Amino acid sequence: MKKISLTLLATIVSALLITTSCTKKDSAGSASTETNRYSNNELKIGISQEFETFNPLISNMMATTYMSRMVLRGLTTINADGKWIPQLVKEVPSFENKKASIKKVNGKDRVVAEWEILDNATWGDGTPVTCADFDFATKVAASNNVSIPDKETYSQVEKISWDEKNPKKCTFTYDKVRWDFYMLGTFFPVPKHLEEPVFKKYGSQKEGYEKNSLYTKDPTNVGLYNGPYVVSRIQLGDHVTFIPNSKFYGEAPKIKKIIVKLIPNTGTLEANLRSGTIDLISTMGFALDQALAFEKKVKEEKLGYQVLFQPSTVYEHIDLNLDNPFLKDIKVRKALLYSINKDDLVNALFEGKQQPAIHLITPKDPWYTDDPSKVTLYKYNKREADRLLDEAGWKMGEDGFRTKDGKKLSFTIMTTAGNKTRELVQVYLQNQWKQVGIDVTAKNEPARVFFGETTRKRKFDSMALFAWVSSPESSPKVTLHSSKIPSAKNGYSGQNQMGWVNKKVDDLTTQLEAELDHSKRVSMVHEILKYYTDEVPVIPLYYRSDVAVIPTQMKGYRLTGHQFPETNDIEKWSLE
Amino acid sequence: MTTYIFRRIIQTVLLLIVLSYVCFNLMTLMPGDPIELMISSNPKITTEDVARLREFYGLDQPTYVRYKNWISTLLEGDLGYSRTYRIPVAEMIGPALKYTFILSMCSLILSLAIAIPLGIYCALRPNSKFDYIVNLLSFAGISAPSFWLGIVLIIVFSVKLGWLPAGGYQTTGLVYDNIFSEILDKAKYLILPVVSLSIQSIGRFSRFARSAMMEAMRNDYIRTARAKGLSENIVIWNHGFRNALIPLITIVTLSLSSVFSGALITETLFAYPGAGRLIYTSIISNDFNVAMVSFIISISMVLVMSLIADLLYGVADPRISYE
Repeated sequence: MKKISLTLLATIVSALLITTSCTKKDSAGSASTETNRYSNNELKIGISQEFETFNPLISNMMATTYMSRMVLRGLTTINADGKWIPQLVKEVPSFENKKASIKKVNGKDRVVAEWEILDNATWGDGTPVTCADFDFATKVAASNNVSIPDKETYSQVEKISWDEKNPKKCTFTYDKVRWDFYMLGTFFPVPKHLEEPVFKKYGSQKEGYEKNSLYTKDPTNVGLYNGPYVVSRIQLGDHVTFIPNSKFYGEAPKIKKIIVKLIPNTGTLEANLRSGTIDLISTMGFALDQALAFEKKVKEEKLGYQVLFQPSTVYEHIDLNLDNPFLKDIKVRKALLYSINKDDLVNALFEGKQQPAIHLITPKDPWYTDDPSKVTLYKYNKREADRLLDEAGWKMGEDGFRTKDGKKLSFTIMTTAGNKTRELVQVYLQNQWKQVGIDVTAKNEPARVFFGETTRKRKFDSMALFAWVSSPESSPKVTLHSSKIPSAKNGYSGQNQMGWVNKKVDDLTTQLEAELDHSKRVSMVHEILKYYTDEVPVIPLYYRSDVAVIPTQMKGYRLTGHQFPETNDIEKWSLE
Repeated sequence: MTTYIFRRIIQTVLLLIVLSYVCFNLMTLMPGDPIELMISSNPKITTEDVARLREFYGLDQPTYVRYKNWISTLLEGDLGYSRTYRIPVAEMIGPALKYTFILSMCSLILSLAIAIPLGIYCALRPNSKFDYIVNLLSFAGISAPSFWLGIVLIIVFSVKLGWLPAGGYQTTGLVYDNIFSEILDKAKYLILPVVSLSIQSIGRFSRFARSAMMEAMRNDYIRTARAKGLSENIVIWNHGFRNALIPLITIVTLSLSSVFSGALITETLFAYPGAGRLIYTSIISNDFNVAMVSFIISISMVLVMSLIADLLYGVADPRISYE
């Protein structure tokens, strides 16, 4: 018995010794200060979100978007400075450069734009990227057998035509007159020479194309990609390996191998970074509180990392349910806003790394304004909040809460359970509102219930705390127009979850989509913002920041803060 | 015996059908569906898109119709299509099951190899110092939450000592020269998750083994065997251990039934691409096809292993008859 136990123990110990000795040489160990372990030979990026296959027509996940920008380039994108720039094309068409115009097509006004693809833009197998690839993408997207999440991206282009002698000069005819015709950041070409046979064979079957697409069946086929890198290995749920695309039209990428590794538990991201399993934590990694804590460690322990904070287009706010009888009163809504000290909130909870919000347009957006003559600003003013509530008939009781007609001024604030930052904000707000006699109770739900049911179907009693992710210059119609109030009638597809109805805002958001003059559009947006800040259908809280951790020696890495991630410039990244 | 096995197989299949229907219904009862989650992440989706996608995925059909469609596709040998990962379920569930099987089996074998001898040794020397120490460690092992234990192991062995990788299942991007180097590389990634999983199991199994063996060693036939002058080894192994096997068979077969279900917390902590994490992600993201296939596998394993346990009882104890 003793002998068996000893033999077993000896076997386990030797196995441990063998494997750990093999580990030591390629592990960084406690190499947090060894910044020279990095070179352009390899970069391992940690992400915490799941990803899917890279077919640009059907992929929908954030992590896939992050990675697909390494291998796929589209017509245009927004750079880190927030400007629309060309990618696969020579220039972005506009009415000013005469590359776009309004023409009569079949008796109707249409925008017609010329997109000229770069001469050296090719797929990874050397086949040139042509107008036919964009045309093929629109054909696949139009199929009823393919599950495209957002058809409008492709269906807005009614027709793509080109001269066979110059297959790189494409004429796009749009479905209507629209000013945002050039915002085709998610309009990707699909390699016709590879995918057309698949579509022809399986396109008539339901989900036949996506099941048999080469992006699914042969994802390491270099011909599927036109970006600076190609996929050399993909294992869903674990990692993707990228190597440079020798046929890339632009600047040659400097890093010879990039591995994106999925680490689903954000709590272990730091351990993975410090142990050398990963070299960089992407924007889909740390939560802000983790980044703040890690930044302190970096300074105290002089670790070889840099924690980056970048203001983003994510708007954290509280949607008020305007069907709630207490919230119908504008004075109560304004009092709620006056009683929040947002400067103190962002300093206390985020060390000032996130900016207080004043309305739904973020500072990254050219439409943003904080001009008091254009929008109503609410600086913390407890006295004003008390005055408004008194005026509204809510009298302070002995218990420190206000009542009217025997009813207590009480609300429920709901958010996603388990989100530490939001739970802290809830507690902070509860305390602030208590100071003016408003009783607020927190009720949180798992994200899938909160977003899938409660906010979608307006099942929150009074307040819902969450964030909107937008892109610069996006139409606010979907969140503000009265036709976008979710209901069974519209399949709960709108996002005006407040139930806000303002005829002027309805007109302005509709007109905005057709207004071709930039300065007029800006004026219209500011007019919308005036109504928005005057009537307070929403309580703005703060604009979120993106965070990432990079090795100190890394160069060329810039966070963007919007939905077109930093990987759009991956060819500029260097570790030497 | 054959009739008994045949009868149990029929019961198993019927139970499987009933449970799969229950699971399918429970899935549909969860708030939100795949389209609602898509709408949340994409404000551009229009009312027309919603109607089109609901029809496309068959979500506009009653639950029983959807179940019928799903089961008929399954009977044709098609496990369906993952709406999260955008690939056929069969292509993604296979590797996940393989990794989970390796992790769970390593942990189970290690746990049994340590816990059973420990339990028996303690049972043969009850209330000794060694017994007290093992008892204390067993309770500590059972009580330690796996998420805490995992993080402690990562901090000590990966961050502080740098001996073992913090997560994953192999060195990403490494090309193996031979099978030995591949096994060695993958083994080092298994050490921490296996240890994390095993510490709890060792505590549990050793307690079971100790109590089963003590119970067996208290019986009259042990005293009789000793009185007959049989050697201590024969008394322990042929008379004591064999009779202690029945409760051990139950716990081992039940543990075996979960080798494909995965260990969600451990897999998530150690970024191990196993079935536990896959099942969790599929439920959270309403990926019906993946979740249902995973349920079926888990249920089947429990039912099959229960059958095997029943058959093994007869082997261990001839008094049990299946006639």
